[in-house]
Amino acid sequence: MSEGGALHRPALAPSLRGECAITASSSPPAERAPAAAPAVELRGITKRFPGVVANHDIGITVRRGTVHALVGENGAGKSTLMKILYGMQKPDEGTIAIDGEQVSFASPADAIARGIGMVHQHFMLADNLTVLENIVLGAEKLHGIGAAARKAVLEVSDRYGLNVRPDVLVEDLGVADRQRVEILKVLYRGARTLILDEPTAVLVPQEVDALFDNLRELKAEGLTVLFISHKLGEVLSVADDITVIRRGTTVASVVPGETTPKQLAELMVGSELPSPETRESTVTDTPMLTVDGLHLSATDPDGVARAVLDGIGFTIHKGEVLGIAGVEGNGQAELVEAIMGMRDPDGGTITLDGADISHAPTRKRREDGIGYVPEDRHRHGLLLEAPLWENRILGHVTEKPNSRGRLLDLKAARADTERIVTEYDVRTPGIEVTAASLSGGNQQKLIVGREMSHHPKLLIAAHPTRGVDVGAQAQIWDQIREARREGLAVLLISADLDELIGLSDTLRVMFRGRLVADADPATITPEELGSAMTGAASGHLEHAEDGAETGGGAAE
Amino acid sequence: MKKIDRTKLTLGIAAPVLAIVAALLITSVIILATGKDPLHAYAVMVDFGSKSDSQVWIINKAVPYYLSALAVAIGFRMNLFNIGVDGQYRIAAFFAAVVGGALTLPGFLQIPLIIIVAMLVGSVWAGIAGVLKTTRGVSEVITTIMLNSIAAAVIGYFLQEGRLAVKDGNLFHTPDLPASSHFFTIPTQPDPLDGFLVVAAVVGVAYWFVLGRTRFGFDLRTVGRSESAAQAGGVSVKRMVITSMLLSGAAAGLIGMPTLLGVSYNYGTDFPVGIGFTGIAIALLGRNHPLGMAAGALLWGFLERTGTQLEFEDYEQEIVGVMQGVIVLCVVIAYEVVRRYGLRIQQRKVGEELAAQARKTDKAEVSA
Amino acid sequence: MRRVTKIAAAGIASAALACSLTACGESSTEAAGKDKGVGLAFDVGGRDDHSFNEAAARGTDKAVKELGVKSKLMTAKNGETEADREQRLTSLAEAGFNPVIGVGFNYGNSVNKVAKKFPKTTFAVVDSASTAKNVYGINFSENEGSYLAGVAAALKTKTKKVGFIGGVNNALIQKFQAGFEQGVKDTDPKVKVTSQYLYANDDKGFNDPAAAKGKAKGMLDDGKDVIYTAAGQSGAGSIEMVAAKKGAWAIGVDSDQYAQPGLAKYKDHILTSVVKNVDVAVYDVIKSVEDGKPLHGTVHLTLKQDGVSLATSGGYIDDLKGELDAAKKRIVDGKVKVAENPAK
Repeated sequence: MSEGGALHRPALAPSLRGECAITASSSPPAERAPAAAPAVELRGITKRFPGVVANHDIGITVRRGTVHALVGENGAGKSTLMKILYGMQKPDEGTIAIDGEQVSFASPADAIARGIGMVHQHFMLADNLTVLENIVLGAEKLHGIGAAARKAVLEVSDRYGLNVRPDVLVEDLGVADRQRVEILKVLYRGARTLILDEPTAVLVPQEVDALFDNLRELKAEGLTVLFISHKLGEVLSVADDITVIRRGTTVASVVPGETTPKQLAELMVGSELPSPETRESTVTDTPMLTVDGLHLSATDPDGVARAVLDGIGFTIHKGEVLGIAGVEGNGQAELVEAIMGMRDPDGGTITLDGADISHAPTRKRREDGIGYVPEDRHRHGLLLEAPLWENRILGHVTEKPNSRGRLLDLKAARADTERIVTEYDVRTPGIEVTAASLSGGNQQKLIVGREMSHHPKLLIAAHPTRGVDVGAQAQIWDQIREARREGLAVLLISADLDELIGLSDTLRVMFRGRLVADADPATITPEELGSAMTGAASGHLEHAEDGAETGGGAAE
Repeated sequence: MKKIDRTKLTLGIAAPVLAIVAALLITSVIILATGKDPLHAYAVMVDFGSKSDSQVWIINKAVPYYLSALAVAIGFRMNLFNIGVDGQYRIAAFFAAVVGGALTLPGFLQIPLIIIVAMLVGSVWAGIAGVLKTTRGVSEVITTIMLNSIAAAVIGYFLQEGRLAVKDGNLFHTPDLPASSHFFTIPTQPDPLDGFLVVAAVVGVAYWFVLGRTRFGFDLRTVGRSESAAQAGGVSVKRMVITSMLLSGAAAGLIGMPTLLGVSYNYGTDFPVGIGFTGIAIALLGRNHPLGMAAGALLWGFLERTGTQLEFEDYEQEIVGVMQGVIVLCVVIAYEVVRRYGLRIQQRKVGEELAAQARKTDKAEVSA
Repeated sequence: MRRVTKIAAAGIASAALACSLTACGESSTEAAGKDKGVGLAFDVGGRDDHSFNEAAARGTDKAVKELGVKSKLMTAKNGETEADREQRLTSLAEAGFNPVIGVGFNYGNSVNKVAKKFPKTTFAVVDSASTAKNVYGINFSENEGSYLAGVAAALKTKTKKVGFIGGVNNALIQKFQAGFEQGVKDTDPKVKVTSQYLYANDDKGFNDPAAAKGKAKGMLDDGKDVIYTAAGQSGAGSIEMVAAKKGAWAIGVDSDQYAQPGLAKYKDHILTSVVKNVDVAVYDVIKSVEDGKPLHGTVHLTLKQDGVSLATSGGYIDDLKGELDAAKKRIVDGKVKVAENPAK
């Protein structure tokens, strides 16, 4: 479906061709437009990919000066629709009207000329250039690259309260700052309507709030924001209007005041929203994984060795889910790789079920019962060009049913792949298709099915539901909960704080390679967790209690 | 599932057909540009190539090519570019010839001994590149090219009178192997087939079996497809690099054997060079598939056999070289085109089925 | 489904194999024609190598002109095997060419092998011996000619440093090296000779002018002012490089390279050439076949028989005539024995 298209999406930055047009036509039409005309009006948009209808009879009206949210599951057709609006794809049917005037976009340059700008989920910035240079790059014709450009950038930044520092190198900026640079980049090019694709996916709660403040600022200045998300709480807090897309078509348009997250979710999935809550405890006192004093140094590109893991120690018992919160890049990936044996720690011990595995090879650890749902499933979890049954063997080639002795047992492996496909509801026409042709959610279900099939003692789940649609998400949560009941120990790493709080029995916060805080998921709020993640709340044990005392019913 | 398989089969045939048609067209244009008749050229090639002695010649010629392609393909399957097959087989054949020429054992002992020496020397030579890659991170492309030159220099040093060679007219060569070490031939008319054909077939089957049916082969292919996934899956990438280089080198050691044991019986200054590079082309042509490479090796032999005949018919000698190049280019492009097309079809199919499922559940919901 | 393809492919392969095992289809050797003239198979480089092959071609051209025979010239590729050479010779013989001449020592084994299958055809091979009844093996005393080149080089050098570049380090080219080194040493022991090869054992050395160019540059930079190159077609690269340096001399090989139109640009720097009279020998073979008294056996053409000589075109060695004649006389008289292998 549309996900197949997304794989091949060219990294389109606003092209030079478009820039010359902007000066001529970007702002004026907005001013001249009749007050009543909506900023964007899509009517009857239909887009067919060979054999699949990605969008079908979509109708959306976006009022000027509002934040309009577009919600829907992964694969519902949101991305395709936005690509159509941004000129990256042409609709087969339907009309687009900007400020009441019907338009037809052949390329993003046309869209930019009409005052439409897009902030992609994956930033398109050059790390080794300054903020100013990044903004001006490709738009040199507007104000040159000198003092005039600097003045214009600062002007835009001030007007919308973006607080951008023009001379900092982008590589020194955090995620939230980079996002602001992206927004400024689009505004600098004269955008009056901004499309933000999943802008909160990479942010911690505090940063999300700051972003929303920015969006309100934009709105106040008369700009229009189209906001794509599937996080319903956020949508309800910031949007003026909400359009829900399911299976390629618009199923509802609602106003936040008149709806609840539950209703929205049901509109999105067509059934009830799953919840990650697990309250009844299955934690035993038999330790399954014990990590003690783990230390790992890495040499960064400048040749400086620094500790990426320092003094890490924790124990996961049978039936326990230990969640690790943290902003990405604070050592979570390294911790997982050290436990998996993909990196050799230079200090400390790792004990699995009583056996020291600190320096055991990865294969031994897998055979000993560690299951691994990797963070980056394309790099670490799948052979994209191989058929599903070969992917079923991956990582477990020495185990039954995949092999007997030194020989592969292709028949058994194939049969077991069929079983996984059925039991774990992997939506595929067969096991001979390549993993690359499955959608992200189905790829993940295959991985979870594979890892669970070997009855692991310990499951390492890194962002297990990232990029996975709501349906698959619920299934994966169910799998983890069920295995936990049967005595599985789980190390859960996630950027989705609801998921972390909902699934974990114990929570730890990781910051700059150290475990700096721990919390009780029963009482902590995402906001409290978020401040510990940024290092602001250099929390020690039971930070949650403070929250409980001061915030009272926060956790209720 | 059946449907997808049929598509797969069609696509599998489409690629080589597309490549051959494109290659024929391009070659025809080139021949026309030289002012000659391309159709007559093809007629000459088919006619001459199908003669019985041509068939024998082509098969005998294809045997070392096939072995060479296998040696290269072992590396290719795990993303290693072993350009050094050329040096590996030459130095392997040289030392095997030296050992063979110095001993007079019964054939059933001496022939295996010579072959084992060749495989060992080939392994060691390729293994050097493997060790350098894993311990020092040096690209195997660089090291194997260098090792080719070093192999040539080493052979050049020892292949002198008074060192390891004897002088015979204007040639230097290692002492002749005793008659007991001559490999058997398969009697056919008018010329015999090289018995090493059997060895090549066995190695081809072993290649297919080890890569497709063993744990080791799966690990090797995994590394080739995604090093990061292999590592996460518990494969020791470094060990696989060294092992596959050793295997590639051992296979390379066999390349010189049909010549040494069946034609020249010594390693001389006239020992064939460059088969290792031909192997790269054939491995590309055959897509690393044991049967594909066999077809590629035979095609190569056919082109070389008939190329001389073309020169006889007053076509340019270089035409065959051009054809070989064009074919490899066309095959590589055609397979890539077909692969992408196939992937698109597959994604569409998956999408269609999911859409169908979704519609079904939708209806179910409505009726519920 | 995949299994089906495999089975099908295996079937085709075994059918093809069975076909050749039972030798169905006509053998190409059955279709022999009648006398078509001279068949000449060149070593790598082809007829226009300005050197060795070209000398053979000249002999053939002369025969075509004077005896009215026809000719067919074919050329080897780089990286050939014995099978390729055998096929080339076989093709020529079965097409009815007589004599069939292999130019270059690489044809040594194949000429003698193929000749046995065509007893009525006369074969000849340059730079190799005859081991079959109907083969004429033509060998030259390259070492003796090179000795004279060494004498000339020793007398001409101003820097007292001279160089030798061989195409491939094999027994044949070592004869050139041995003679040259000995000639220099016997004439002026103070002159230093440096000998280098382009390739240790790859016939590409006769077909790689760029490599020779690089080698020559190295020698020139090192102050060597007379460079003798025995490397077939590669020699042109060395001559080109030498010609770019004032006061430096190149010594050619096989043909009189001063007189080669292709090298005319550089001829002011071609001191002399060690000529192998391949053309004469080739002409003789062709004539003997035409006369019905084909030559056979192995012949060694020495300095005494004028099989090798030093070219005097350009007149650059006229001033050395006395010394050169004396040296030649010493060799012809047997007072000096020129080694075939370089001193270790």
